[in-house]
Amino acid sequence: MTDVQQFSCTVNGLQVSTAVDTRTSAADFLRQELGLTGTHVSCEQGVCGSCTILVDDAAVRSCLLLAMQLHGAVVETVESLGGLDELSTLQQTFSAEHGLQCGFCTPGILMTVEAAKRAGTSAVAVVDELLPGHLCRCTGYDNIRKAVQVYLSPEA
Amino acid sequence: MKPAAFRYRAVGSLEEALDVLSEHGEDVTIIAGGQSLMPLLNLRLARPEILLDINRIADLAFLEITADAVKMGAMTRAATVEHHAEVKQVLPVVPQAIAHIGHPQIRNRTTIGGNVAHADPSSELPGVLACLEGSVQLQSKTRGTRTVGWEDFFQSVFTTDKQPDELVTGVTFPITEPWRYSYQEVAARHGDYPVAGVTVGILEQAGVLEQVRISVVGVADRPVRLRTLEERSSGMAATAATAAVLGRFARNEVPASDDVHVSAEYRKAIVGTLVSRTVSSLLEEIGP
Amino acid sequence: MSLMQRPSLVGANVQRVNDPRLLTGEGRFVDDINLPGMVHASILRSYLPAGRIESFEAGSNAEAWVLGPDQIAAATREIPCVWIAPGQQQLSNPVASRALRYVGQPFAIAVAGSRAEAEDVAESVAVQIEPLESVGDARDALMPGAPLVYQEAASNLAVEFSIGDTSEELDAVFAAAPHVIERTFRIPRIVPSPMETRGLIASWNPGSSELTVWMSTQTPHHVRDHIALCLGLRADQVRVIAGDVGGGFGSKEHVYADEVMVCLAAMTLKRPVKWIEDRLEHFTATFHGRDAYHHARLAVDHDGTFLAIQSTITGNVGAHLSNVGTGPFRVSSIMLPGPYRFAKVGTRITAAFTNTTPTGAYRGFGMQEAAWVRERLVEEAARVLGKSPVELRDQNMFRSDELPVMTRTFQEYDSGDYRRALRLVADRIAAYRPPASEPRIRRGVGLATHVEFTGLGPSASQDFVGFRLGGYETTVVRMEPDGSVFVSSGVMGMGQGIETTLAQLVAENLGVPIERVRVQLGDTASAPYSAAGSIASRSITVGGGAAVMAASHLRDKLLRIAGHQLEISPADLELVAGEVRVKGETRPALDLEHLVTRSWLGLDLPDGESPDLEHKSVHDPKNIAYPYATHGAAVSVDLDTGQVTVDAYWVAHDSGVVVNPSIVDGQIMGGVAQGLGIALFEKMIYGPEGDPRSTTFMDYLLPLSSNLPRFTLDHFETPAPHIPGGMKGIGEGGTIVAPPTIANAIAAAVPEIADQLVETPLNASRLWTLMHEAGLHDD
Repeated sequence: MTDVQQFSCTVNGLQVSTAVDTRTSAADFLRQELGLTGTHVSCEQGVCGSCTILVDDAAVRSCLLLAMQLHGAVVETVESLGGLDELSTLQQTFSAEHGLQCGFCTPGILMTVEAAKRAGTSAVAVVDELLPGHLCRCTGYDNIRKAVQVYLSPEA
Repeated sequence: MKPAAFRYRAVGSLEEALDVLSEHGEDVTIIAGGQSLMPLLNLRLARPEILLDINRIADLAFLEITADAVKMGAMTRAATVEHHAEVKQVLPVVPQAIAHIGHPQIRNRTTIGGNVAHADPSSELPGVLACLEGSVQLQSKTRGTRTVGWEDFFQSVFTTDKQPDELVTGVTFPITEPWRYSYQEVAARHGDYPVAGVTVGILEQAGVLEQVRISVVGVADRPVRLRTLEERSSGMAATAATAAVLGRFARNEVPASDDVHVSAEYRKAIVGTLVSRTVSSLLEEIGP
Repeated sequence: MSLMQRPSLVGANVQRVNDPRLLTGEGRFVDDINLPGMVHASILRSYLPAGRIESFEAGSNAEAWVLGPDQIAAATREIPCVWIAPGQQQLSNPVASRALRYVGQPFAIAVAGSRAEAEDVAESVAVQIEPLESVGDARDALMPGAPLVYQEAASNLAVEFSIGDTSEELDAVFAAAPHVIERTFRIPRIVPSPMETRGLIASWNPGSSELTVWMSTQTPHHVRDHIALCLGLRADQVRVIAGDVGGGFGSKEHVYADEVMVCLAAMTLKRPVKWIEDRLEHFTATFHGRDAYHHARLAVDHDGTFLAIQSTITGNVGAHLSNVGTGPFRVSSIMLPGPYRFAKVGTRITAAFTNTTPTGAYRGFGMQEAAWVRERLVEEAARVLGKSPVELRDQNMFRSDELPVMTRTFQEYDSGDYRRALRLVADRIAAYRPPASEPRIRRGVGLATHVEFTGLGPSASQDFVGFRLGGYETTVVRMEPDGSVFVSSGVMGMGQGIETTLAQLVAENLGVPIERVRVQLGDTASAPYSAAGSIASRSITVGGGAAVMAASHLRDKLLRIAGHQLEISPADLELVAGEVRVKGETRPALDLEHLVTRSWLGLDLPDGESPDLEHKSVHDPKNIAYPYATHGAAVSVDLDTGQVTVDAYWVAHDSGVVVNPSIVDGQIMGGVAQGLGIALFEKMIYGPEGDPRSTTFMDYLLPLSSNLPRFTLDHFETPAPHIPGGMKGIGEGGTIVAPPTIANAIAAAVPEIADQLVETPLNASRLWTLMHEAGLHDD
């Protein structure tokens, strides 16, 4: 009794028009239908933040969005930030500061920081308000904070 | 954890939404922000026949400020209210409480209507509504609009007065100058559901607390007002000592029970601490 | 400490080779892989702590594909236990059974076109489970009359054995001791909670009779061996490929029954089957860490000299012995003495079955419990005797000139200066300026020390303690015809950066630029056999040691060939930055590229030298490697809410030669975060009958960034004398000693409750209750 419906949106600059089982989450749609496996699923409860993407410039949990709810939206995932041949400054900063270990939580954090950069959010506010919305089991967070500070500080 | 199958309906107007609700009522679950519902769907604890998506109803995303109230459409996003300059000025307790809802990434999707309609007994906004003595607007196809006061609206855990054919269309937070309000909570970690959350309102005049309102979330199946304490406190001096006294009385009056995480005694103590801290901070705002 | 001349790539903060792909979303975690024709599985699990499946009927839906417990049991052999305790009867466990013994136990598998549909199918299966009485707590399980986890057994006793000095010897010491500190400690269950849950894709190729398994695992060969055994295949018929692994922490170091079921489904269906553990499953399906009571005591002489330490351990193994079984309790025992001299040390371990998820490996593996017990006892001794916690530790620590030393539990501590680490942290604490005082906030500082068991281990020693896996590691280093260098090792990456640090070791010891070195891990088809894989902080020590050996041997070979061609003694030549030079000269002595090409052609070689520019080294270490550390913490305790803020954290640590300082720091900080989680937040909650009550991230609390302070990290490097390269293990130390460090700081802040700080997590409501009972809230 699967309910299949159409929707369309823009993902990483490309127009997408397709049909999905309506119970498909945005995360699963991006990963499985579009092959954008950089967005990771870890808790499906919205707690851990690994699945965070940008929808119309806002950082949101893709595990708590239905794919159908992306209709008409501008969606951006970690794949839009920079490529293997040309890491973005944000990505380079995270590597330089050793702000990742297993890397599973990392794409979600990068998207939150990217949204913050666009909104002009200060490094302090990112560290105090936004970073607690991301669970990391590997790093102990200190290097992530440093990477955020280096990336968002005015001199950078 | 993937949801059980449902029929998905996304509607673009309030009229369409009310049609669906009128026709299918009991079989419909409404999805707004989805931050509370999606986890339940993923766990298969919620298994709607029809999932009615109201996110495309632009008419429900309004925010009106008058002298008497801030009225928010059901689809107004929590993040919008949190950063709204005018609301921060005229009714700061609302953005203050909203800042405790999860994390900003959650608040980007959370809606005021959805949060209130979900009626989680630990949720911040129902507690604020109780203290401000606010109300909820509902609408159905056959019976039109109605306004329900907070006390009649919140009935029990995840249970409100909303009928199966109704949609919550707006939430009204009264402005009651010169009352001052503040919200505080204690949670295990930043962004968690609170152990308890307290909204305090005081009407102070010439160093005296003329009236006090205290609402608490996280202690019962819905927000509670500490009415006995409110009566007793009328006429007390607006001092730090009073803040401590109110804290102690609150601890004694508030209902609470044990749960898997904390004891009733701890919860009550937290309420007491929160009341005294919140009253203190309001008194500091007022100044000497 | 000897000052060693170290090559430049060792000790360098080389940026990690896997960072680019992880940062760009190009990682290859198992759920990122999709194969043509792939289908999805959902596992059926017990929802009761104990029961018997009376009937099992897959739905009448023709699309529903299900394997039930009888079918699975008939098609599989049991999964062996690997660490066998003295007297252990249970040596293996069935893949599926009608006997259900814990919530989460897998008993069937459903397959469909999508995960959502597979869950629909699983729901449609009609299972009748007859409930049985159940018990969740280890002490309750050992009471007479307790519900039996195994109906045919006489009791719930799984295993019982002693370590160290006899109870008679210990009783004598304690009876005569001027001071005895005695406490009952409780270390609750921990859910490993890597951000990537378990998962695999199994694919059977009938033409080649080969099963290929892509899996999130720390131990590809070990998993391969057991999958083959369980499914009746030869080892060469099973290939396990681990790509990017999103954290393991011990939970992914063996094959689970549900994973074997997925492989069986793939073989039966002849289609690739993917199963990804979801977070809800993880809380009961992946084996837990810890869960023990320690009734422990410390005997102290008049002058503060430690005389003896003893613990009676009641351990919870869960519904069945896991692959490592009572291993953590054993390690708790052997590392109980820590860095201190004791005349006598002993433990008695009583391990009980209960109707809960089995317990197994989790970062720290018994050492965290040992550090908790020991460092809390020592701290209490200092408080009770009115001695400085620093001085009391210092006077009892082994001095560096006493090492190597054999402890009462037969650990030969190799090298180090325990007192130096202690002094450094003590100095940092002394220099610390806490935040301005506030009413109703108490502040305190505390420290704790430990010695850590890493680099598991000499194969002979492992056999001696019943751990039935070889302790060696093998690394192959090959210089290809084009001069690039390929490194293959049996260890596995899961975020600890081993791909990069092995490259650093090889590049430096071979003498080539690191850009030319590629490390490949995780594929049993190409990786040399590793019995144990990446566990027990052994990758850089045992695996790195093998890499140093192999690279050195290959370098020597290249220099022999060069020496032959130049007619110079190889002893006068060196290989540096990819160039063969006469020592003391800066220009190349010959064209290495040319030499390499000719060698692979079999030309210009000295007599007896084979053409292949490859060396395989097997490193079976002579001993465990023992790093050590002192940690310090400053906390603020809110008297009214019980909440604890960690304001500062210091580590003085020695894990031998540091290959990559950033990575070592990252391991320490990440480890401390898990230790802080244990200290303040984490507990897997079971009801008395084994019903799980914390099965989401809302109920099981992991520390957030807002809970972790900035770190001050200091390192010394006392090389491991017996490890090529001098490295000691680094992965677990933070988790081991952070909990008592934080507890000791809380005890200093609120001494009124110090004697009650015996059980973690010291969360807000527990601390508040203790403070309340101590009268701290009386107005």
